Amino acid sequence: MMITDVYVDAHAANEIETEVICSRLGLPPKIVARADEVYTALAAAEDPIRRGKRVLYLTRNKGAFLKQCPGTRHYMCCGYRILHIGSFCTMDCSYCILQSYFHPPVLQFFVNHADMFQELDQALIQPVIQRIGTGEFTDSLIWEAWTDLSSRLVRRFAGQDFGALELKTKTTAVEALKRLPHNRRTILAWSLNTDRVIRSEERGTASLAARLEAAAGCAAHGYPLAFHFDPIVIDDGCETEYERVVEQLFSIVDARHIAWISLGTLRFMPDLKPILQRRFPGSKTVYAEFVTGRDGKMRYFKPLRMRLYRALAAAIRRQAPGVCVYLCMEDDEVWQDALGFRPAERGGIKLMLDEAAVRHCGLNPEGLRAT
Amino acid sequence: MASDSDPFRESLETIPLADIDSADECFRITTRNDLDDLCASISKLGLLNPPRVLPGASGFVIVSGFRRVAACRRRGWDRLRVGVLPSDASPYHCACRAVGDNSTQRPLNAIEVGRSLRLLERCAADGKVPPDDAVALGLPSNPGVAAKLMDLCRLPAAVQHGVVEGWIPLAMALELGRMEPALAIDLAEIFRELRIGLNKQREMVSLITEIAHRETTPARRVLEEPQLAGVLHAADLDRRQKAHQLRKLLRQRRFPALQAAEHHFQTLRQKLKLGENIQLTPPQDFEGIGMTLSMVIESLEDIGRLRDKLDELANHPVLERILDGKRSLFVPACADGLDEQAAP
Repeated sequence: MMITDVYVDAHAANEIETEVICSRLGLPPKIVARADEVYTALAAAEDPIRRGKRVLYLTRNKGAFLKQCPGTRHYMCCGYRILHIGSFCTMDCSYCILQSYFHPPVLQFFVNHADMFQELDQALIQPVIQRIGTGEFTDSLIWEAWTDLSSRLVRRFAGQDFGALELKTKTTAVEALKRLPHNRRTILAWSLNTDRVIRSEERGTASLAARLEAAAGCAAHGYPLAFHFDPIVIDDGCETEYERVVEQLFSIVDARHIAWISLGTLRFMPDLKPILQRRFPGSKTVYAEFVTGRDGKMRYFKPLRMRLYRALAAAIRRQAPGVCVYLCMEDDEVWQDALGFRPAERGGIKLMLDEAAVRHCGLNPEGLRAT
Repeated sequence: MASDSDPFRESLETIPLADIDSADECFRITTRNDLDDLCASISKLGLLNPPRVLPGASGFVIVSGFRRVAACRRRGWDRLRVGVLPSDASPYHCACRAVGDNSTQRPLNAIEVGRSLRLLERCAADGKVPPDDAVALGLPSNPGVAAKLMDLCRLPAAVQHGVVEGWIPLAMALELGRMEPALAIDLAEIFRELRIGLNKQREMVSLITEIAHRETTPARRVLEEPQLAGVLHAADLDRRQKAHQLRKLLRQRRFPALQAAEHHFQTLRQKLKLGENIQLTPPQDFEGIGMTLSMVIESLEDIGRLRDKLDELANHPVLERILDGKRSLFVPACADGLDEQAAP
């Protein structure tokens, strides 16, 4: 999706990154004193959410760049840390929670990178294993055409021994990363789905084959990889289709390059449902058997989740018994059923993933002791 | 609206009833068509308030008093005393008269308010009703509320009738207005039959439309399914029973695995023979992990009896199956069909 307008926060107008992005976009920046001016412009659009994907707002992050993954009550989180580089996305997935997470959603990018790197330096100096990612509030690599931030981050992580950077994407924008001295400290991660779901629900994203090809290319350049079957969309025949995706994955990518694979079924705050119904009237995803989870989010009826997880976990283990597989935001009962153990038996999800990061990224194992 | 000096002062005249064009309902506000009470009143007291008419190209157009004119016709009158507005009265002034004659005499129902607003809007010079006029006529001046009420007038007659009679709340009427008319009429008919409240109406509409979306089938076809149609037309069921069974069937269609699990759980729980003083409750929608076992005691002897029952339960294979988790107990029905779930 093309950017049609660039708004620049007056307080961010003198940042070098602002200059670079505006120059690459070739669009005249509109300087605004307050974010409200951008929101007002968006609100006037027929579909403000779609419009928000074409309007870029460059501003400063006035809060913390590093945040703990918000997680959710009653379900187990992996202890991932978010590097908050910006928000929203140029791609248009029907189920995207960002549509209802920000009010109104706008493609926002923080340009005070000096502050970001200073905060990152302070975090990485700690002798404790950390997994840090940029793909929580946005796709990590949609920004590649306009900024070198990912490359700078890869270089920064390459020079330390306790943190792994995870860049999570549905794109194939990895060319600039291949030439970098990454020192295996960066994990390139792809969200995977069936061809059918990608075609019907993930508008503007790369095809499954293209994602896997990009991943294989990165593995060839020595990057550790990760894959996220998230969100898994449950409907008739989906088990077989997801099992085929697993086969396709391992036919292209060597399991030894994979740091971890996560599984997570579609879940969303109730606010998203009317948005999805309005913006994607042809989508059937919200008409499956959703119940209200203990965190207030809509989740597939638990036995349906369990059955899908069991099938998918078994398919992965048939291909790659040693790969670390984890569930995103599920409880002990589902873990036990799908994977045959509860995270606490192995020290918790965080430790499981930290150990995988140590193995695949060559991090200092001393950092595990401090965890 | 007419000013205090009222340049459109009407003249009272007695005219032949045959000269009044009752077919022109341009200014009609009332939703009532029944005449019995009015006929009785006219018979006893005469016509207290003359209807108001406007001279037109082919006779007189009624501005207010549609029912009065009809009642007088029924009573066989051939002449009628009426207030005749000047022939050059503007449509907007006539509209204000029509609305005012109704709204100042009695409370208007939602459809009548909508009709009034639409009439005024249609007749206003710039298509906008001055808020002061709306307030003076006892109509809502809030544009959002007014727009919703005006939408009501575009609804199928069956839905409007439901609103007037009170079995379709305003919120549901507006929801029905967003549907294809044939479906809205079908649902209005069901609501007339069942007389259920807004929450249950909403639940039914949501279940029906979501099933239809999921299965890419017209919502009307869902309603035509034999099981649902059978309940709707069952002569041996009263309204409450029909409403209960319909909602149950729809929930089974919309959430087959969840409903099957609930059914299966209940079947297994019955096998435990817990008695009146012990209850075993699953977590909401089976999402949580633990089950709740609650006991009621009235005496120390009860504790002894409950302890024996608990000992029995601790070794009960059915309880073990229940506690074994969702995997073995609640086999999803989406691929396997509902019937299989009934067997323990």
